[in-house]
Amino acid sequence: MKKRLTLVVTLITLLSLLVAACGGSNNTNTGGSNKPAEGGKQEKVKLTIWHNFAGDDLRAQAVRGLIDEYKKNNPNVELDAQAIPVDGYRQRLSTVAAGNEMPDVFFVYAGSQSQEFFDAGLLQPITPLTEKYPDWKGNFMEGAFDRFTFEPNQIYSAPIGLSATSFLYYNKDLFEQYNVKVPTTWAEMLTAIKTFNDNKITPIALGNKAPWVAQSTILGSLADRVTGTEWFLKAAKGEASFQDQVFVDALGKFKELVDNKAFQDGANSIDNTQAEQYFIQGKAAMMISGAWTLTNLAASATEEQVAPIEVTTIPAIEGGAGQGGTISGGPGAGFALSKNTTGAAKDAALELIYAISGPDGQKKIAESNSMIMYNMDLEQSNVSPLYLKAFNVVKEATITPVYDAYLSAEAAESINNGLQEIMMGGKPEDVAKKLQDAQARSTQ
Amino acid sequence: MLSSLRTRSFVALALLPAVLIFVVFAIIPIIWSMYYGFFDWKGLGAAKFIGFKNYEMMLQDPIFWRALKNNLILVVSAIVGQVPIALLLALLLLKNSFFNRIIRSAVFMPMVLSTVVVGLIWGYIYNPQIGLLNQVLETIGLESWTRAWLDDPKINMFAVSIPINWANIGPYLIIFIAALQNISSEVNDAAKIDGAVGSKKLFYVTLPMIWDMVVVAIVLCISGSLKAFDHVIVMTGGGPAQSTELLATYMYNNTFTVYRYGYGSAVSTMIILISALLIGLNYIITKRRS
Repeated sequence: MKKRLTLVVTLITLLSLLVAACGGSNNTNTGGSNKPAEGGKQEKVKLTIWHNFAGDDLRAQAVRGLIDEYKKNNPNVELDAQAIPVDGYRQRLSTVAAGNEMPDVFFVYAGSQSQEFFDAGLLQPITPLTEKYPDWKGNFMEGAFDRFTFEPNQIYSAPIGLSATSFLYYNKDLFEQYNVKVPTTWAEMLTAIKTFNDNKITPIALGNKAPWVAQSTILGSLADRVTGTEWFLKAAKGEASFQDQVFVDALGKFKELVDNKAFQDGANSIDNTQAEQYFIQGKAAMMISGAWTLTNLAASATEEQVAPIEVTTIPAIEGGAGQGGTISGGPGAGFALSKNTTGAAKDAALELIYAISGPDGQKKIAESNSMIMYNMDLEQSNVSPLYLKAFNVVKEATITPVYDAYLSAEAAESINNGLQEIMMGGKPEDVAKKLQDAQARSTQ
Repeated sequence: MLSSLRTRSFVALALLPAVLIFVVFAIIPIIWSMYYGFFDWKGLGAAKFIGFKNYEMMLQDPIFWRALKNNLILVVSAIVGQVPIALLLALLLLKNSFFNRIIRSAVFMPMVLSTVVVGLIWGYIYNPQIGLLNQVLETIGLESWTRAWLDDPKINMFAVSIPINWANIGPYLIIFIAALQNISSEVNDAAKIDGAVGSKKLFYVTLPMIWDMVVVAIVLCISGSLKAFDHVIVMTGGGPAQSTELLATYMYNNTFTVYRYGYGSAVSTMIILISALLIGLNYIITKRRS
């Protein structure tokens, strides 16, 4: 009898220890940042910030530098900064979102991701900052806050980038060597592809292993030229169908590229960075890619390698409903504020957001050769020549929507896989149907 | 009586922490995941109870069946690849000589490497432009054999299964060596006196003696192949166009890329069921044989 009693007592002790251990960690997680404000500025505040600037590129270094500077200037803030590699960032964020354990400040993509967080009640507006710094808000380019305004007069983040996803980069030397005209029309594009193929040069480098690449860099701009922007915005809202002939035609243009062997063998099994390397080594004549390629090349390629690279927009398509000379893109991601952050922690968090997204921050980011949506004078000597070329292209171009910023996550996945399917011989009609089904299912 | 009770309660007490940890971190999450499998839940916001709808959708999704087929390819390749090769190597490397130990470590090495490293290495080996495999084929004049190994849906599943088998032979080798060393020398001597040598000895003496271990190895192969994930996610991410999708990557992509947490939970429950089914099947088959 006595033995059994000891057993029971031990069991209970063990259990309670376990429960205490689990409960304890939960408390520290939410408690630290939730402390209400009392007294002056010197109060110790605990903040966490999550971002995906984990890489070695200039932009990531610039943002990390801004965070470090904030740390130095605010000794009363105990800042826990987590740099999470880009590939896993979305997943990590949605995992903590599911448990309502958001960090105080976090980097969030414009469009569907931030919308989903807003719908789940995880965000609070950063509007107090715009009241405190009205000039700052006025300096943003038109439309910068469109994707971060979920209710009238409240903004939930300020973009620290312009994500232009579809430049046509080309190697001037190769075009001169084989006497090819830089394509401004679809017919010229097909001629260029043929000439380069005849000379055993890959026409367009593509690394589509992570399947968003072809969608984000090529399809967005290509389809816009065929369908026009209005049609796409309607289709995304469910007022037009992706099975409309006009979209099937747009996919057909992509298939035309595939059928004419515009991309190198195995484009679906190498990643974007490998494709960039392939292109910069002069093995491919063109590459259709976003502004991130500017940053990557500035960080990794030599000066001689970059010198022959020129930047333009992808060619216009004769007979399409959309214009040429446009670039798909949109306000990039920005930092957002968790709903759970209140009091002194909230003030500190807002200042942290301003330290990164404010005028000084935007300047530092621009000088890391990244596109921004903030008007300012740039010292030409502070940026790379390639970046300036791209910057000038953007100034002239109209920005058109990127597909995955408007589609639901499921529909985006569907078109991403669909483009890979077309590259493997699939039919545009089937891909269009799957996309329409996925979009209809997730917006009903 | 009293002392046996005391030993028993001591055993129970000593096991308690491990059992508790196992229950909290393995059993309860599995039950939770089964529970979520009945909901339409995006991971954010409210969950809607939909009964067996998720399972219905799963069974109607051709990608699910493709993932299952790919997993079965892995299971078969593991059973006909890993187990016999490991057994053969174990027989060859049984003696504890210096040379044998080096080979054993070499076979075991990929197991110690991070799976991400293995995936990246093989990703480069298979690279269509700069990959080792294509370059070797070109050098020996088999240019027509070169291809984009991870790209072509007809072969990429086999291309993917090779590194997975390569990386997983090590532990089976160790298991088999241990089993072979456990065969008592009397049995071997008796076999020798009775004239059992070579393949006769292998099939009538050695294999029956270690049959239990072979069964264990096959069970490990099945469960390991059904939850295979890391090599594939690094090499292909389940692509292109979901042609190398496995049950685990299918679950992962649905849960974390498309945010269908409820559906993903249903898929993971299905993985458990399929795994249990196959292991049960294996149990029945091997039982009958012995």
